[in-house]
Amino acid sequence: MTSIWENYKTDVAYDELMYSEFQPRPVSHGLCQYLNSLKKADMDKRKLAAELAIMEMGITFTVYSDEGNIDRAWPFDIIPRIMDAREWRVIEQGLKQRLTALNCFISDVYDQQQFIKEGKIPSETINSSKNFRKECIGMKPKHNVWANICGTDLVRDKDGIMYVLEDNLRVPSGVSYMLENRVITKRVFPELLQDIDILPIDDYPTQLQDMLSSIAQNPNGKPLIAVLTPGIYNSAYFEHAYLAQQMGAQLVEGNDLVVKQDDCVYMRTIEGLEKVDVIYRRIDDDFLDPEVFRKDSALGVPGLMRAWKAGNVALANAPGAGVADDKVVYAYVPEMIRYYLNEEPILPNVPTYLCSNPEHLDYVLEHLAELVVKPANESGGYGMLVGPHSSAKQVNAFRKVIKADPRNYIGQPTLSISTAPTLCKGKLEPRHIDLRPFILQGENTFVTAGGLTRVALKKGSLVVNSSQGGGSKDTWIINTEIS
Amino acid sequence: MLSRSAERLYWLARYLERTENTAKLVSVHMNLLMDLPKGVEMGWQQLVRINGSEQAFYENHKVVSERNVTRFLLTDADNFGSLFASLSAARENIRTTRELLPDEAWQQVNEMYLYAKDNLEVVGNRRSRVLFLNEILKGCQRFTGLLSGYMSHHHPYRFIRLGRNLERADMTSRILDLASLLLSESRSDELRQYETILWMNILTALNALLMYRQHVRSRVQGDDVLDFLLLDKNLPRSIGRCLSEMTDCIVQLPNHNGLPEKLAELAAYVEAIDTQQTTQAQLRVILDDLQNKLGALHQEIADNWFLRVEVN
Repeated sequence: MTSIWENYKTDVAYDELMYSEFQPRPVSHGLCQYLNSLKKADMDKRKLAAELAIMEMGITFTVYSDEGNIDRAWPFDIIPRIMDAREWRVIEQGLKQRLTALNCFISDVYDQQQFIKEGKIPSETINSSKNFRKECIGMKPKHNVWANICGTDLVRDKDGIMYVLEDNLRVPSGVSYMLENRVITKRVFPELLQDIDILPIDDYPTQLQDMLSSIAQNPNGKPLIAVLTPGIYNSAYFEHAYLAQQMGAQLVEGNDLVVKQDDCVYMRTIEGLEKVDVIYRRIDDDFLDPEVFRKDSALGVPGLMRAWKAGNVALANAPGAGVADDKVVYAYVPEMIRYYLNEEPILPNVPTYLCSNPEHLDYVLEHLAELVVKPANESGGYGMLVGPHSSAKQVNAFRKVIKADPRNYIGQPTLSISTAPTLCKGKLEPRHIDLRPFILQGENTFVTAGGLTRVALKKGSLVVNSSQGGGSKDTWIINTEIS
Repeated sequence: MLSRSAERLYWLARYLERTENTAKLVSVHMNLLMDLPKGVEMGWQQLVRINGSEQAFYENHKVVSERNVTRFLLTDADNFGSLFASLSAARENIRTTRELLPDEAWQQVNEMYLYAKDNLEVVGNRRSRVLFLNEILKGCQRFTGLLSGYMSHHHPYRFIRLGRNLERADMTSRILDLASLLLSESRSDELRQYETILWMNILTALNALLMYRQHVRSRVQGDDVLDFLLLDKNLPRSIGRCLSEMTDCIVQLPNHNGLPEKLAELAAYVEAIDTQQTTQAQLRVILDDLQNKLGALHQEIADNWFLRVEVN
């Protein structure tokens, strides 16, 4: 009988579960023992059961194509990704520290700008940031928190160290998939989950609701919370509906809301207009309010910024919070932590070369074939160059692109991001993964236990985005200490 | 509750009711044809007629055959009134309102949709068609049952009931319309012989046969059946009952301006129908009129709750 682990390679990158084909890491011992006890046919059955559950639960994301928008089933790998709770606790502290510093920075940018005045960051970097919104200067959101919901992407390099790849502070998505992944795993491996001490994750909707209530003008008056979605054609619509349902909040579209002369936001109900206190908006700043930002936006609500500035409605994340979600500003986060918190960063950044800096630019252009180069403001893995995976022609074409707009590009060494065993045609093969924990900050700060593990399903691929052939795994933070 | 959500729940219920009615109708019709002799005028064309979709049917089909009609009514995505089109529309509506419903509601509709989508090809075969229709009927019943047991009976629930009963009243009136044809003097002697079977099938199509026996306590005959299906106060699918269900919802909904009065008028209109005294031709006119009145009632509901409130 051949093993499902046959020829499992752990020499490409750090493997999260295995030392080698034959030896699991201590934390994945229980899982491996269990997997080895399954017959191949059993494994296929579990995989099938998971796929069926995904279809029936209707866990989908939307793919845009010429034939119209297609709702695709969420690609899910049944083998969980595992991490020891002792390691996780350090990461959790690091994430809290990071978001706290980022919120101090955003507050400062829209207030005294001490960080800039003291020369910690060039004022040019802020002023030229696409997500710096002059309209927000002088605003003071509750608890001085601008980014209430953050999804931070972590990757582990060959050296075994977890690095922060980016902080998503605009409208990070994926948390519903994290929650549903656990629901599916419970269905597929019920016997396994009972025997291993895994930290639960299903309190996220409650934590989100608490956080959103805490930013209302009057948190004790049962604030009315709405989730603002661009609508059914958005790729994350499933998540918007899911979160609204789980929180018992209203799911609204732009034209359900109206801002009246009194600068308050109301929703159109069967009983007339009803005041909305908190909006968890899943629409980018650009489309939020046609009176202030893009005039052609049909998704937003005219007057929303007026209402927000008057303090009559809380918006999460606050408009303008994206100023810190910029790959150039990212490079300064360790310095922010030292400056605002007087602490050393717990989680390291990936070394970053800023093309706006002439010396860095020279280095990047010289080493393009080894580096990853990313635009400062894109998301979804678009518009980037992975040097080692590109042809000389592509590299040269990108050289011109960078030279034309150096402010908009950063270079980073190509990491050999870690792998985890993934079920491929009845066998386990290493596939590259990352981790997106979600951090909530309002009156208190909360971090999900683990997060969404995304996996590049194509052999050798480093791109984990679902729009580009990525899938996901359940993430287990395991308590190995005896209680 | 958002006006938009109210509208989508109302339509969700209408489309699901339509799905169920279509399944039931085809299923009963298949049974009926097994009992009738070949060549009697009660053929497949009657089903197309009930739905008022003759024009749409003849645009794409030349022959009225079992195969063409069942495909047209069940699986044809281009036929807006087909079972699959109704079910797809129901799914779109629940997809955008799932935050108001119990988790299981969305899964139930989604599962049913996936089942139908995977089985579109099998309805050509009589035996698989029977199984298919049974699955759909069960699915619709599960949905109704779980809402009744899991969901608070507040405004969102009332809009669902409202949509369901309006659609139901409309379907019952269509079936009665067809039934009135059977009373016509021009019917063949052969068909006269099978009259009781026909009436029994009409009752079955509306899940009313057993209730009829219990309450009317007479043999199945035309006038009594018509009375029962029009006026009975307790039968879920009688027009009278659907109207009182709607009234019950409407008076509990906010801003029901003038609507209870409209419904009372409609109920009085139905009660005034004297099935003993009207000729078949008169009855058809009355039922046509009733369908128009139901259409107007829908419009009033939409104007009252669904249209966006103007501000300032």
